[in-house]
Amino acid sequence: MLFILRSSVPAMDNKEDIEINKTARELVNQISVVLKTSQIHDANNVAVSSMIDKVMAIINTMILAERIIALELRGDFFYVNDTRIRYPLEYLLNFDFLVREFKKRELGSLIFKDRLSSDDIKIFVKAFISSGFSSTPFDVMQEKVSDLKNFSVERLKNIVDRDTVEPRKMVKKTYFNAVSFTKGVINKIKSGEKVNIKKAKRVVETMVDQILEQEQLLLGMTAIKDYDEYTYHHSVNVSVLSIALGQRLGLNKKKLTDLGIVAIFHDIGKMEIPNEILNKPTRFTDDEWKIIRKHPAWGVKSLLGLKKLDELTIKSAIVAFEHHMNYDLSGYPRIRKRIELDFFSRIISLADQYDAMTSARVYSRIPMSPDKALSIMMERSGGQLDPLLMKFFINMIGVFPIGTLVMLNTKELGLVYESNQLFASRPRVMVIIDKDGKRSTGFVVDLTEKNDQGDYIRSIVKTMDPNKYNINLAEYLL
Amino acid sequence: MDDVKAVRDIIQSFSKSKKILRMYPENNPIYMNTLDEDLSKFKDFFYSKDAMTLLIRQNEILYDTEQVYANQEKDDNLALFFFKDGLREITFHAGLPREELESFLKIISMDFNRDTMDDDIVTLFWEKDFQKIQYVVDDLVLSDDEDYETKAVMEVKEKASEEDNIFKAYEDAIKQDEEVKDVAIVPLLDKDLQLLLKELDNDSTDKTPKLIDILFEMIYLSETADDFEALVTAFKGSIEFSIVKGDIVPVTQLLARLKQLIDGDEFSADVKKHLKKIIFFAGSDTIISLLGEVLDLGQETEEKILDDFITYLDKNSIVPFMKILGELKSIHARKFVIDALISIGNKDITILAKGLSDSRWYVVRNIIYILRKIGDKKAVDYLLKTVKHGDVRVKKEVIRTLGELGGAGVLQALRECLDDPDVQVRAASLKALVNIGSEAAKRIILNKVSDKIFKDREFEEKKEYFESLARWKDSEIFNFLTTTLKQSTFFGRAKNYENRACSAYALGIFGGSDALAILNKFKNDSNKQFRDAVHIAIKRAGNG
Repeated sequence: MLFILRSSVPAMDNKEDIEINKTARELVNQISVVLKTSQIHDANNVAVSSMIDKVMAIINTMILAERIIALELRGDFFYVNDTRIRYPLEYLLNFDFLVREFKKRELGSLIFKDRLSSDDIKIFVKAFISSGFSSTPFDVMQEKVSDLKNFSVERLKNIVDRDTVEPRKMVKKTYFNAVSFTKGVINKIKSGEKVNIKKAKRVVETMVDQILEQEQLLLGMTAIKDYDEYTYHHSVNVSVLSIALGQRLGLNKKKLTDLGIVAIFHDIGKMEIPNEILNKPTRFTDDEWKIIRKHPAWGVKSLLGLKKLDELTIKSAIVAFEHHMNYDLSGYPRIRKRIELDFFSRIISLADQYDAMTSARVYSRIPMSPDKALSIMMERSGGQLDPLLMKFFINMIGVFPIGTLVMLNTKELGLVYESNQLFASRPRVMVIIDKDGKRSTGFVVDLTEKNDQGDYIRSIVKTMDPNKYNINLAEYLL
Repeated sequence: MDDVKAVRDIIQSFSKSKKILRMYPENNPIYMNTLDEDLSKFKDFFYSKDAMTLLIRQNEILYDTEQVYANQEKDDNLALFFFKDGLREITFHAGLPREELESFLKIISMDFNRDTMDDDIVTLFWEKDFQKIQYVVDDLVLSDDEDYETKAVMEVKEKASEEDNIFKAYEDAIKQDEEVKDVAIVPLLDKDLQLLLKELDNDSTDKTPKLIDILFEMIYLSETADDFEALVTAFKGSIEFSIVKGDIVPVTQLLARLKQLIDGDEFSADVKKHLKKIIFFAGSDTIISLLGEVLDLGQETEEKILDDFITYLDKNSIVPFMKILGELKSIHARKFVIDALISIGNKDITILAKGLSDSRWYVVRNIIYILRKIGDKKAVDYLLKTVKHGDVRVKKEVIRTLGELGGAGVLQALRECLDDPDVQVRAASLKALVNIGSEAAKRIILNKVSDKIFKDREFEEKKEYFESLARWKDSEIFNFLTTTLKQSTFFGRAKNYENRACSAYALGIFGGSDALAILNKFKNDSNKQFRDAVHIAIKRAGNG
């Protein structure tokens, strides 16, 4: 693997940086267009040739500035000379196509070492297309471009174990499907449209299935927080965390589905809080707090008005009302007749607090680390939070929650990628800085691995807060 | 090709079985035979194959690339039925148990077009947790935005707007000696599991009482008219929901609590107005009709539970109750409604009396009965209009009621009824007059008996008249009876003997030594009918 560190490239001011990114984006897009068209037409076709000329022109312009250009696929993103290429939505399909085709051929990088001719590019295009029909595509392609002096290819780095790729994809799909659904539902409720409860059930059933089979993968998705789409991600995260806790408490599939749906709607009353209060970056005034504290009752009103009353609506309304009341009833709304919080309410309160604390919010841009949040929650156990359920919750989140930044005894820095239910202190870790202090492509190591002497190869020696260092977990975990 | 034929046959049988399972109960032989036949078709198929995989397209079903079902229609299209909920493949495996096949067929027999149906076919399959039926689902049908995942992932990754400080993190990790403390895993003990089991046991399946508690709390939290309107709707929903389930106790408790608030001074008149709407709804056509349906199902409900519920209903429930009275099929349900109307009806007799105009005779008769049980004399005016009802059963009921209620106009009506062509009506009227027991009533009967044409009536009827008179036990009646007893005529002897026998029976009821002395004088009379009557009367008077 050729690493072209950003520091080796002449320094550029911001304007130049933007320009480079724009050119690089154009490069990726044009390569995608050429390869897509070449699947139908021969590389010598007039239209294809003209596109190839365009690619050549972009590469040669970049070569003038950078000397060497390395276009690399890491995860689902392209990097040019170690800089991730950002692109607007209109490029999405072409980028997506190229990611797929690269992966299909196990192709990791295209390295342009000097100016290229259009014939050079044609050779690459032909090699690329023909390799798609081979069982060893990368080898075929590498062999076919081996005569080119100024161009080479590198194999795709395996950042995730093959056997976890498919479940990960499924889990990611499920998670974002749920977020998309939640967004749709909330908008529908806002505009007074009918809500399709059948869809809600289907979305949550899939989550339940995946919690039952891939608990840690779906839980891991809750570590990825989206500040702008907080409301929707929060609803789904609370749902995932609640289902996972419910599963550990032994609830059956049907109850888990109910719990998941109820959790999605727990904050529905917030819809009625004016945006200027909800998005206020400073502390709330007493009057604003009064309004905030109304959202549980507003939630009940909204849910009961959605459709004819049924068991699920009742459960949802109860949780919407109780989720801020606290185990010791010290929260809000204040009530006159002493009641015991519903079982679902107590589960969802835990999930709600945990996700809220570990998410970036308007008034607190830097979220709390999972271990810090759990420590605070432990202090609240028995008071605000149900102590029994809290025990199960801590066990579920684990010693090293997914997304925790960890230092290993091998002097590698990594992110907890997957918890290990049997050996809580030995999760799978994605290494992001290698033992030499260099940025790694993110290979995953299993801390249960032992050497020939029977000693663990790697162990965690320290945990750190990834938020403190502005590490975007999404970049690594998605 | 034989396989394809077999699959085609199985799919055809699905369509047929759907209808059968909808129509017949589980224990019906047709239902059971259909299921057995389907199962046997699967068994035959599994002799040579381990599994049968059906590929679902919008308007066709394929097996092994062969079309085994096709339908271009929108209705009754099995392929479309599966396809629209996202099912793309269904596989039946060898060893398919009868229960699974039955569940599968039951699910596909459901009416998914109903508004109240909150589950689609995939959810129902999922809940069944089939072991030998697998299916592949396309969840894209759930998403309004197919590309959401790609866009969202891209956006969330893009949000690393600032460069990360990953190397700073590395430096810190190397430099700092002090380790960040973690939350230790808390070991779960047996005690925790026991507590959890208790929690799960206590987690009641019926959450309606809890919801009702919350709604009551929300009365205190509501501020605007909109809040109260929404709350009233929510209360109404919970009442309806409970009644549909046949759960009357929580509704009664809800109404009792509301009543307390309405009677108390915690809330303003405006708020109370909202609360009253809820009580009003409990007696509405919607709720009472639902209650009727529940009662008609034959579900056992304690009388006390129903009585308590009725206590809180307002007079608006009278009309709905009268409406269902004529529709209910079970005696138990009708009895409940009648009791309910007896309890609520006195809140407004005028409304209840409207039921007397019902076109169904049995409803009118029930309403008359209810009015009698209520015993309010205000009902007489309405009842008098019913005396001329075309149905004898109604007439009898109204006469009896008038007799019990008494009051102005009643005697006149009863007198007229004594001339009714129907003997049962005349008898009822006579009883009613006796029941009234007044001098005027006596006079009416006496006049009727003294009437010349009276003697021409049937013996049994005449006997009833005489016996009725004996209830007054005064000298006028005694004299009248003894006179009649002794009376002899030249013409019409047979009819005269009948009158004398009737007098004898009446004197027997009258009793006393004077009556006995007179009766004894005629115990050897030559007329057998008269003599027998005297003997019975002597015995009765002696015993009295």
